[in-house]
Amino acid sequence: MNNHMRIPHVNIATQHAAIKDELLTAIGRVIDRGQFVLGDEVTEFEHRFAELCGVRYAVGLNSGTDALILALKALGIGSGDEVITVPNSFVASTSCIALLGARPVFVDVREDYNINPALIEQVITPRSRAILPVHLTGRPADMDPILEVARIYRLHVIEDCAQAVIAEYKGKRVGSFGFAGCFSLHPLKTLNACGDGGVLTTDDTCLAEQVRILRNIGLKTRDECVVWSGNSRLDTVQAAVLLVKLNYLEAWTEKRRANARFYQEHLGGLPQLQVPTDKPHERAVYHTFVIQADYRDELQAHLSKMGIGTAIHYPIPIHLQNVARDLGYRPGSFPIAERQAQRILSLPVYAELEEAELKYVADSIRGFYRAK
Amino acid sequence: MSRTAFVASIGRNEMKVPYSYLEQQFADVEPYLNDIRVLVRTGDFTLGKALVEFEERFGNLMGLPYAIGVGTGTDSLMLSLKIFGVGHGDEVITTPNTFVATVGAIAMTGARPVFVDNNEEYTIDVAKIEDAITPRTKAIMPVHLTGCPADMPAIMEIAERHHLIVVEDAAQAILASINGKSVGSWGATAGFSLHPLKNFNIWGDGGVIVTRSKQLYDKLRLFRNHGMVTRDEIAFWGHNCRMDTLQAVIANRLMGQVHFITDRRIANAKRYDEAFADLSEYIRIPPRRPNIRQVYHTYVVRVRDRDRLYKYLNENGIEAKIHYPTPLHLQKSAVYLGYKEGDFPVCEADCRTIITLPVHQHLTEEQIDYIIEKIRKFYS
Repeated sequence: MNNHMRIPHVNIATQHAAIKDELLTAIGRVIDRGQFVLGDEVTEFEHRFAELCGVRYAVGLNSGTDALILALKALGIGSGDEVITVPNSFVASTSCIALLGARPVFVDVREDYNINPALIEQVITPRSRAILPVHLTGRPADMDPILEVARIYRLHVIEDCAQAVIAEYKGKRVGSFGFAGCFSLHPLKTLNACGDGGVLTTDDTCLAEQVRILRNIGLKTRDECVVWSGNSRLDTVQAAVLLVKLNYLEAWTEKRRANARFYQEHLGGLPQLQVPTDKPHERAVYHTFVIQADYRDELQAHLSKMGIGTAIHYPIPIHLQNVARDLGYRPGSFPIAERQAQRILSLPVYAELEEAELKYVADSIRGFYRAK
Repeated sequence: MSRTAFVASIGRNEMKVPYSYLEQQFADVEPYLNDIRVLVRTGDFTLGKALVEFEERFGNLMGLPYAIGVGTGTDSLMLSLKIFGVGHGDEVITTPNTFVATVGAIAMTGARPVFVDNNEEYTIDVAKIEDAITPRTKAIMPVHLTGCPADMPAIMEIAERHHLIVVEDAAQAILASINGKSVGSWGATAGFSLHPLKNFNIWGDGGVIVTRSKQLYDKLRLFRNHGMVTRDEIAFWGHNCRMDTLQAVIANRLMGQVHFITDRRIANAKRYDEAFADLSEYIRIPPRRPNIRQVYHTYVVRVRDRDRLYKYLNENGIEAKIHYPTPLHLQKSAVYLGYKEGDFPVCEADCRTIITLPVHQHLTEEQIDYIIEKIRKFYS
C-alpha cells in the first residue's frame, strides 16, 4: 500500500505558486497606468485569444454566462423563442436562455456527455431559433451533424465552450464553428482569471461590433448610446493575468491530456468503469476527467477516505431541478443524462498533478473494486 | 482625449490639473500588491473570504444590516429591479440626466424607462413624478447624481401612496445623507458603483447592493450566483454578477480612506462655492441645503458660455468634463420611447450649460486656486 497522500480535486494555489511573481508584475503594470477599464491588456488579450481559436474576433466579457446571454441577445432571441441545448451541463447554459425569456428545450446526450445530434431534429419547432451545444468536460461536441441540422432548419449555433479552450474537432478549434463561441475564464477553468471573466469568439464583424457595444452599457462612443444595455466588461487586471497564463496554456493542456492518458491506461481494463476515450478526430482538453462508475457513491467515499478529492459534474440534471418544473420534463425524459448523473465521477486531472499522485488515484480505485 | 494626448496638448509652463487621480492614489502600490499576493496563494477567488469581510464592512459603513457585492453598479440596479419581478409590460420612472447605465439596468429587465425632468440640484423633480405614474408603473429609480441625494422623503411618500418600489441609484453618492440618514437606507434597495473613477474605487468593475430586508438579501445573494442554493441545487434562474474577491481585497484596504476622500471632496467643493459666490451672473451653483450632505462625486455648475469655457480650461491644462452632454431621452437608444426635444426642458438646458470641474481628493489648494483664477480670468 502507498503512503497516504492528499490530492484535492482542484488546486489552483499550486498553479499560481509557480507564476505568482509574473502575475503580480502584470497586475502592477495595470496599476501604474491606471487604465482599469477596457485597457490595453484587454485588447491584447482579445487579439491573442482570437488567434488562438482561429477566428477573426474575440470580445472580453465579465463572465462566460454573460458571453452566452449576449450572443443570444444579439440574435434577438427572447420571449416566444426556443433554444435547444443539453440537460447535463452547468446551469448557466440553460439560465442564459431562460433569463432572456426564451424557452430551453433539452436533447439527451451520448456516452461522451455531449449532445446527441441524431435527437435534435425531433425537437425542432417553428419557434426554434438556435442550438446551443456544450463542449462538456473539454471534449468537442460532434459539430458536423449539428451544423448540418442547423443549416437545414436555418438555426443559429452558439457554442458553449466554457470548459473547452483550445479543444479541437477535425483539426479546427472550438469557438470557430458556430455563429459565436462562448468561453468562461472562471478561476476553475483551464484558462483561468483570478476572478470572473469570459470571452466571446466570432467571425462575424457585425456580431463582434454589437457585443462590444452591449458589454459597455450600449455606448458606441463615450457620449453616444445606441442601445440600452448592461455592463459586462472583462477587467483589465484580469486580462493582464490571462496574458501571462496564455503563455502556459498549451503546456498545461498537454499535461492534462497526458494525465487523462495515464488514467485511460491504468483504469481502462476495469469492467466496473467507463473511462472517457478520445476519438481520432478529437482533441479533448480535459477540463474534467469524468468516469462512470459502479457503486459511484461508495467509490467517492472511499477515495475521500484515501485523501483524494473528487466531484460530480453534475448530480442533478437541469431538467429535474426545481427551477425547471415549468418546462414540463420528468424523470425518464432524458435517460442517458439521468443514468450518467447516477454514475459519473470527476477525478483530479489538473496540470500540476505528479505521476505518483496519478498512480495513487488509479491504485486507490483499483483497490476499491478488488475489495468489492 | 487620452491622458497622454491631454498632457501633451498643454503648455510647458502651465499647471496641469488632470481629471483622473489614480496615479496619485495608488502611488504606493506595494501594500495592495502584498494583499493580492496573499490572495493568489490561497486561490480563494470566487465569493471568497475577503468579499464576505468587505460586505460586512460596507454594510457597517452605511449603517445597514445587509450588503451584497456584485459585478458592477449596473448589475446592482438590474438585479434589484428583477428581484421584485419588474419586467416586460412594467414601467420604471427615472431621470433623463443620468449616466446611461441607470436606464440600461431598467431596460435589461424588459421594463420601459419613463423619464421625469430634473430640478436645480440635478436630481429628479418630485413635483413631476405623479404625472408620470400610470397603471403600469412598478418602480421609481431616483439617481443621487453628482453625489447629491434626491429628495427621498418626498419620493418615499409618493411611492407609498402609489404602492411603488423604490430602488436608489446611489452609484455616485456613497456616504451622502439627508438629515443624517444615509442614501441607500431609504429605498427597498440601493445600488452603489465601485468603478475606478468613483469616490470609493476599486481596480476594475464592481458594485454593491444594500438593503434592510433579510428576505431580499437572501434572494439577491442567490440571484448574483446562478440562483444556486448549494453547488448542486438551483432555486431560480440566476445571473453571474459576483464582485471579484480580488477587487474586495482592494476595497478592504481602501475602506479606511473613504471618510478622508469624502471630506476632502466636500472641502474642495466648498472652496469653489465660496470663490464663485460673486460670479453668480456667470456661474450658477446648485442649492446647498444644510440638512443635505453632498459628497461631490462630481462638482457640476451651470455656466454662461459653456462651450468656450470648456475649451479654454482644457487649453489651460484643466481637464474639465461634461456630465453628460446628451440627455438620455434624445439618445439613439431612446428613439422607441417616443420622446422629443423639449420634453424635459431643465435637463436639456442643463446639457448646454453644465460643466464638471476636478474635485477629487488629490487636488492641491494651488491647483484649485489655479482653476478658480482661470475661470475668473475667462469671465473678466
